[in-house]
Amino acid sequence: MPPTDVPKIIAVTGIGIVSPYGIGMASLEAGLLSGISRLVPAKNVYPEYPGFEGTTAPVSELPHFAADSSYRYSRSDRLAIVAAQDAVADFDRRQASFRDSGIVMASTVAGLSEIDPGIAQDPAAWYRRHGLARASSYSVARVASSVGEHLAIRGPSCAVSVACASGAMAIALAANMLLDGAAPMVLAGGSDALCPFTLSGFSALQSLDPEPCRPFDQSRRGLNLGEAAAVLVLETLAGAQARGANVLALLRGWAMTNDASHPTAPHKQGIGLAKCINHAMEMAGCAVDEIGYVNAHGTGTPLNDIAEANAYELAFRGRRRPVPVSSTKSYFGHCLGSAGSVEAAITISAVRSGAIFPTLRLTHPIESTTVDWVRGEVRRQPLSLAMSVSIGFGGSNAVLIFGNSGSAYP
Amino acid sequence: MKPILPTITGIGSVTPFGPLAGLIPHAPLEQPPLEPGPITAWTTDGLRRAFVVKPFQPASVVPGLKTRRLDRLSAWTLVASSLALQDAKIDLSQMDRSRVAVVFATGFGCIELTESFYRSAATNGWSGTDPITFPETLANSPPGHVALFHGLRGPNITISNRFFAGECALLQAASLLRHGQADMAVVIAGDTLTQTMYAWYETAGLLSPACYNAQPLTEPFGYVPSEGVVALVLEPAANRDVRSYGHLHAGRWATGGDPLESIYQMLGDSVPSLTIAAGNGGPCSSGPANHPAGGIFSAEAAIVPAQPVALGLTDTGALFHLVLALSKRDCRGNALMLATSGDRGFAALLLELP
Repeated sequence: MPPTDVPKIIAVTGIGIVSPYGIGMASLEAGLLSGISRLVPAKNVYPEYPGFEGTTAPVSELPHFAADSSYRYSRSDRLAIVAAQDAVADFDRRQASFRDSGIVMASTVAGLSEIDPGIAQDPAAWYRRHGLARASSYSVARVASSVGEHLAIRGPSCAVSVACASGAMAIALAANMLLDGAAPMVLAGGSDALCPFTLSGFSALQSLDPEPCRPFDQSRRGLNLGEAAAVLVLETLAGAQARGANVLALLRGWAMTNDASHPTAPHKQGIGLAKCINHAMEMAGCAVDEIGYVNAHGTGTPLNDIAEANAYELAFRGRRRPVPVSSTKSYFGHCLGSAGSVEAAITISAVRSGAIFPTLRLTHPIESTTVDWVRGEVRRQPLSLAMSVSIGFGGSNAVLIFGNSGSAYP
Repeated sequence: MKPILPTITGIGSVTPFGPLAGLIPHAPLEQPPLEPGPITAWTTDGLRRAFVVKPFQPASVVPGLKTRRLDRLSAWTLVASSLALQDAKIDLSQMDRSRVAVVFATGFGCIELTESFYRSAATNGWSGTDPITFPETLANSPPGHVALFHGLRGPNITISNRFFAGECALLQAASLLRHGQADMAVVIAGDTLTQTMYAWYETAGLLSPACYNAQPLTEPFGYVPSEGVVALVLEPAANRDVRSYGHLHAGRWATGGDPLESIYQMLGDSVPSLTIAAGNGGPCSSGPANHPAGGIFSAEAAIVPAQPVALGLTDTGALFHLVLALSKRDCRGNALMLATSGDRGFAALLLELP
């Protein structure tokens, strides 16, 4: 049932992205349509660390930005700034509604890319050698404030750091802020850079697939790391209509839950995620049959993918036809704190264009009677509602449901 | 439909005052009873002082708590949240725990473990790091442990913000209640002080002389770092027939703009009789939030800078400032405003005290 309370409907009026395919949605969509992944061996990216055997997807040619002398933008900051600039490229930045915007940016890496192990051995010597500004980017809050400073935005700003569910949660919290009237519009998304810290950590956990990952395949071996940033501009539909904004999509439902079952592994049966999906569908006022596509978390790790498949069995039980599901992490890896926002952008793209991007390298999918694993060719079908699913260490789940802007409001 | 008024029903803290349930006794705002203590967590070049949490056994405070494998931030977060739930007289076995949210604010997250991970990389190379440490370095590990220990399956959110993380967490938690996304929230804010952080402040020349000598602290003339975690239980006012520390009436935060105009809008007809004006990271005699505080309130209103011990909780200090204010005996029956200044922007919370 379409929403009718216009002040409480959340509209997406801008999307900005920087991914291994380049800057902007057009380059991302073209890349996904090409079916060519951007995954390369990690040792090509970090030739100084030959021990890294994983496969990664870096962003090339990222611009630098000047900050004041007390600060140096981290790679995650720079990715975030590029994505935010892209999201608001068509906005009139002189308007008060823009200056008073809120910012909710997710990150897990933040400035870790600027720091090396020497800092922990003799911090004072490290600061003397490298300066304080480099270490100042450590806090995840800096990603949000970097975007705000760069765009001269002065509204409420905060960062979200909930592991790999961060990007989606940033969007959910931004939507809550709009319902509260905390800001006229909110820039929400996530940004995470590749760095040795995370490559080493996931390698130590034996979570990396040395080859390009195979999400939802029975022979999957792990994930690949990527880097990206995506920013959505959210505002109430009433606000968007009042300023004549171009409404790209509607955020119809969102939900957050926690498994409370294990510090890192998801609940095997996917109960927490299934509840999260149900809550989001409840908010969207839709039935299980109305979800036309699910952009899955789909990391390619043995534990994540089976838990997720089990969650879909629970959440979509009773559907007349299996729900189409794919993982776009197979194209450019897992972008950690930005993954939820990047995949939200891809989900919106699917809703707008009707193009569902298949999971690459999926030859022997996990058996499921409820899921229609999208593989092979790009599938084209009209979509009124599509879902983006995110899962993170610490048991967190976040689900976003996007609807087509053309048909769902009065 | 009557709007939901989020109410603080439980307080737990692990601060330089020790682990405590409820208000902090004998903690007058103007005269801190604490002196900075010597840093012993790492080797220092001569005496170095800060407001540090003295080591304690978490299981002696919360029976059954296992924290041997956890860093101090996660352990303190578990202790503070457990004390807050105990203070609120919550029987979780009687609750739908899928409707309980955890909202955690931190400036630096599990930085102790990040340092430990870096040390293992320095010693063993990037290919020899510790797989157990890595996931625990994530900023959302502490609230994840809270969810796991108490079985809380509602939204579990970690927030960070330059200067105002505590306020953000409280307002985001209130939003979850207001929009029916949770029936109760445990709001937690905190940070630990580590060697790299202390060295940063020292190299930047921000530390107070009181950090270097054992003289009694009068005026800090600089920054005295601190550490700790504070947890609040937030429920809708009508949820239970239970003691309330205060109703969260309104709140604002922004990175710029005119604080005076924004605070006037927030206050509406309310006239706070107590204002706590705090700065983050240094003495708070000036700052965008203090000016409107001085301009708005009558001569009878107390405008009290937060005591030096509160300053060092940096970005997450708001909940501690709030507990210190609530601990002030003569503030019952009043409206309380907590205003915090940062280098950029301000945050303000308005509470009605029963």
